Amino acid sequence: MGKWKTLAQAAIERTAIVAKFICLYHITDTYLFSPTIVRFISFSVCQCVNGGVEIDRWILQVSGPSMLPTLNMTGDVILAEYVSHRLGKVGPGDVVLVRSPENPRKTISKRIVGMEGDTVTYLVDPNFSLRSRTILVPKGHVWIQGDNMYASKDSRHYGPIPYGLILGKVFCRDYMSAMLGLKSYDV
Amino acid sequence: MSFQQWSALLKEGFNATSFVATYLCFLHVTNTYLFTHAWVYGPSMLPTFSVTGNLVLAERVSTRLGKVGRGDVVLIRSPQNPRKVVTKRLVGMEGDTITYVVDPKNSDRRETIVVPKGHVWIEGDNIYATSDSRKFGPVPYGLLHGRVFCK
Repeated sequence: MGKWKTLAQAAIERTAIVAKFICLYHITDTYLFSPTIVRFISFSVCQCVNGGVEIDRWILQVSGPSMLPTLNMTGDVILAEYVSHRLGKVGPGDVVLVRSPENPRKTISKRIVGMEGDTVTYLVDPNFSLRSRTILVPKGHVWIQGDNMYASKDSRHYGPIPYGLILGKVFCRDYMSAMLGLKSYDV
Repeated sequence: MSFQQWSALLKEGFNATSFVATYLCFLHVTNTYLFTHAWVYGPSMLPTFSVTGNLVLAERVSTRLGKVGRGDVVLIRSPQNPRKVVTKRLVGMEGDTITYVVDPKNSDRRETIVVPKGHVWIEGDNIYATSDSRKFGPVPYGLLHGRVFCK
């Protein structure tokens, strides 16, 4: 009987250590920063999205090469931090991770072009014409655009998005893997 | 004080801090992934919730699994003020055709709209005093915060 008890106690202790570590990792991952793989795939490939939140944080799938030349078409490892947008410190020019308004399970990365109250002038469809439109970004919303405007589905397509959909700010790209030869970059 | 006393004090302080940190950690994970409490007040959800305030329990599992539906009272991050979380009723999911009274205080004019993909239509129960999708349009599903199940 005593042996079972000590065994159970040891098991509980081990589990508690693992749980604490997972907790700490999760807090850092959600509220501070995390490395994320930003992968770009073409429209023809099906997106297999895992429903779990943790996996969403690690693997981002964005349709199309929408952030060329800033981010690579075949994928980039980036560091995203989750502090600035809660403090309201994201602004125009920042590359941010945003929950897609069309598919809530998808996280996309785009650049903020205008904050609330800004007047944004944009090219509606640069592939076909030079027509441009001007719009005022409403309160509580931001205007996001991909760097590669010829192949990007962004606020020009679905309008300004609420600030609450911003998940984090991209602040760093991992060049080490390229330098160590682990990845090849398409230029 | 001697070194022994300092180190004992530090050790005790560290133990206490780590205990509190673990507890807060656990509380936070529960709040984010299981259920959370909220204090709802204001006239927009009369008669379901009172003006002076109700303490409600909201669970955060169904929004992540996509299991919220029409008729649920949900917590949603306001599209007009990202720091505010509001309580409204989910009236339409994506693809639904919604007919709503635009301004019930002044006229009976109705409008019909199809909720776009990835969005939901929310309305307060008290249509005379609520700022909801009739004012700011359908909101993206990603802004849903939780589903109220108990008050």
